[in-house]
Amino acid sequence: MLSMEWAWLIPAISFVAFPVIVALRRAAPIVSALVAIMAILGGFVVFWLVTVDRIDHGATGIDFFSYRWFDVGAVQLTWGIIVDPLTIVMLGLVTFVSLMVQVYSLGYMKGDPRFGWYFALHSLFAASMLTVVLADNFLLLYIAWELVGLCSYLLIGFWYELRSATEAAKKAFITTRIADVALLTGILLLFKEVGTFSMQETFHQAELLMLGEPSALSSTTATASALLLFVGAMGKSAQFPFHVWLPDAMEGPTPVSALIHAATMVVAGVFLVARTFTLFEAVPNVLVIVAIVGLATTLIAATMALVVTDLKRILAYSTISHLGLMMLSLGAFGYTAAVFHLMAHGFSKALLFLGAGSVMHGANQTDIRKMGGLIKVMPFTAILFGIGALSLGGVPIFAGFWSKDEILISVLDHRHPIFTVLLLVAVFLSALYMARAYFITFLGDLKDENRTAHEASNTMLIPMILLGILALTFGFMALEWTNEYSGIGSFLYKHKPHGFEFNVALGIGSIAIAIGAFILAWLIYRAKVISIEGLKQRLNPLISVIEHKYYLDEIYQWTIDRVILVFSSFVAYFDRTAVNDIAVDGPADSIKRSAFNLRYHVTGLMQNYALGMIIGAIGVAVAWWAVAVYG
Amino acid sequence: MITLAHFQIVSAALFAVGLYGVLARRSAVLILMSIELMLNAVNLNLIAVSSYVESSVFSGLIIAIFVITVAAAEVGLALAIVLRLFRNRASVNVDEIDLMKW
Repeated sequence: MLSMEWAWLIPAISFVAFPVIVALRRAAPIVSALVAIMAILGGFVVFWLVTVDRIDHGATGIDFFSYRWFDVGAVQLTWGIIVDPLTIVMLGLVTFVSLMVQVYSLGYMKGDPRFGWYFALHSLFAASMLTVVLADNFLLLYIAWELVGLCSYLLIGFWYELRSATEAAKKAFITTRIADVALLTGILLLFKEVGTFSMQETFHQAELLMLGEPSALSSTTATASALLLFVGAMGKSAQFPFHVWLPDAMEGPTPVSALIHAATMVVAGVFLVARTFTLFEAVPNVLVIVAIVGLATTLIAATMALVVTDLKRILAYSTISHLGLMMLSLGAFGYTAAVFHLMAHGFSKALLFLGAGSVMHGANQTDIRKMGGLIKVMPFTAILFGIGALSLGGVPIFAGFWSKDEILISVLDHRHPIFTVLLLVAVFLSALYMARAYFITFLGDLKDENRTAHEASNTMLIPMILLGILALTFGFMALEWTNEYSGIGSFLYKHKPHGFEFNVALGIGSIAIAIGAFILAWLIYRAKVISIEGLKQRLNPLISVIEHKYYLDEIYQWTIDRVILVFSSFVAYFDRTAVNDIAVDGPADSIKRSAFNLRYHVTGLMQNYALGMIIGAIGVAVAWWAVAVYG
Repeated sequence: MITLAHFQIVSAALFAVGLYGVLARRSAVLILMSIELMLNAVNLNLIAVSSYVESSVFSGLIIAIFVITVAAAEVGLALAIVLRLFRNRASVNVDEIDLMKW
C-alpha cells in the first residue's frame, strides 16, 4: 500500500503526462487523449490509496510533508503537501470530475482539429488544480493558482478563431489577475511577519493570535492579509464584483465549463478561504465581510440567472450564486457546510453542464426559447439534467438539499436573522431558475427545429450517469452510518466533530420554499396557469436592469475607456516627451549639436594647424615663465 | 667681442624668419625650406651653447650632426610627398590642399 506522503504522485502523473500528450498530439490524437485519461485515472487510484492510509492514521488528522527546494539567504523554500480531510475531499472531487469530463470529452470533442491539444491542457489543468489542493506553502499554492488561471485562459479561448472566445478568455484572465495581485500581496504580507511561506507555521501564529498569546502576527497584518487573500479568492470564485468573467467564460467548450468553471477551478477561492480558515477565525471581522460578499453574490447572480435565456449562461449564473452560498457559509463559520456544498455543487453542476453540452451537441442550440420537449428525443439527458436541477434546487434526498440545509443552520446560528431571510430568498430563486430552465428546455411540445436532435453517445452518457448517481446519493454523506462516521461533520471539521444536525422548522421551511418554487415554475412555464406578462410589464425597469447585468460590464468598460485609457495615454505622452525626448535623447542631441558647431575648426589647412601649434607652444612658454618669475 | 648672446640673437632671428615662412608661404617647397631654416637656427644655438658653456664636451655638436642627418632624411621624404602632390593636383599650394577638412 501507498502511504499518504506519496500523495504528491497524484498531480505529478498528470504533469508528466502533459509533455507526452503535447508530443503525441498530431501523430496520434486518440492515443494522446488516452494518455490524459490514464494519467487522471492513475491519480484517482492513488487518491483512494492515500485516503485509506489517511483513515488508518486517524481519519481527521493533519499531516505535513515538506521537502527542501532551495535557500534564499536565511529563507528556506520548500515543496510540500498537506494531507488532511479537506485535501482528501478536494482530491476526490477534482480527480473524479476530471476523469468524468475527460471521458465525456472523447465524445464531445470528436473530430476537433486540436483534439490532442485539448487533452494536453486538461492534463495540465488537473495537475495544477491538484497542486493547489495539496500545497502546504503559499508560494507553491500561488504558482499552481496561476497555472490553473493559465489553463482556464487557454481553454476558454480554445476555439480562438471566434473573436468572442478570445475576448472572453482575455476578460477572464485579466479580471482574475487583478484579484491575484491582492492574493500575492496578502501572501507577502504574511511572509513579512511570519518569515516563512509555510502554512503550518502561519496557522500556528494565527492560533496564537486568536488565543491572545504573543504571536509573530500582528492583528493589523492578519486582518489586512486575510482581506487580501479573500480578494484573491473573490476573483477566482467569481464573487461580486469580480463575477463578470464567468458568464463570458461559457465561450469555451462545454466540458471545460463543467470541469473548470463549475466544479473545480472556480471553487479554488472557496477552498483557499477554507484552507486558511484559521487565519480568518483569528480576525472574525473579516468573516463578516466574507458573509456579506457571499450573500450579495448569491442574490445578484440568482436574479440574473432568472432572466437570461442562454442555457449555459443560466448555469454560469447559478454557479456564481452557489459559490456565493459557499462564501456566505464560510463567513458564518460554516466550514463543514461550505466544503460539503462545494462537493455537492461540484457533482451536480458538472452533471448539469455535461447535460447542457449533450443538448448543444444534439440540438445545436443553446437558447432555451428555441428549445422545448427535448425529453422526447433525448430522454437520458433529460432525466440526468433533471436530477442535477433538483439537487441544486435543494429538493430533499438530492445532494444539494443536505448541504444547503447545513449552510442554513450555520447562518442562522452565527449571523443576524436578516442573513437567513435573504438566504431563503436565494434558495427560492435558485429553485425557480433551475425549474424554469428545465421546464422550458425539456418539457412541452417538441419544436420543429429540434426534431433532428439526438441522444448523446455512450462515451458522453456514462460519465453523466456516474455523476448523476453521485448528485442523487452524495447527500447521504451527511447522515450517520457507523459509529466512527456520524455525518460529514465528524470527518471534516474545524474545531470539534459534530454529527448530523437538522433544524426542523428551518428544514421544513426550506423544503417548502424549494418545492414551492418548482411548483410555481411549473404553473408559470409549463401549465401556463399563472401569467407573468402583467408582472413583467410592471417590473419592466427592474428586469431591464437585470438583463443588462446591472450595467456592471458598462461600468467597467466606462472605467477602462475614461479612466484607465486616459491615464495610460497621459503616461505614454509623459514617456514619449519627458523620458524619451528630454531625458534619453536630450544629452545625445546636445552633444551632436555642439559637435556640428565645433567641427568648423577642422579646416584641413596645414598652416592653420601650424599656427595653433605655435600659439600653444608660446602659451606654454609664457605660462612657464610666469610660474618661474612670480610663482 | 662676439658673445653667446650674439649667436643667440642671430639664431632667434633665423628661427623667426623660418617660422614666418612656415606660416605665411603658400608653396610647399618654400615651407620645407623654411623648416630647414628653423632647424639650422636650432643647430646654431646648439653649437654656440656647446662651445661657450662647456667646450670640452661635444654633446651639443653631436646633437647638431644628428639634426642635420635627420633633416636630410626628412627633406627627402617631404620632397617625395610634394612630387606626388604635384603629379596628382598640378599644384603645390598648401591652401588648396584641404582634403582633411570637415
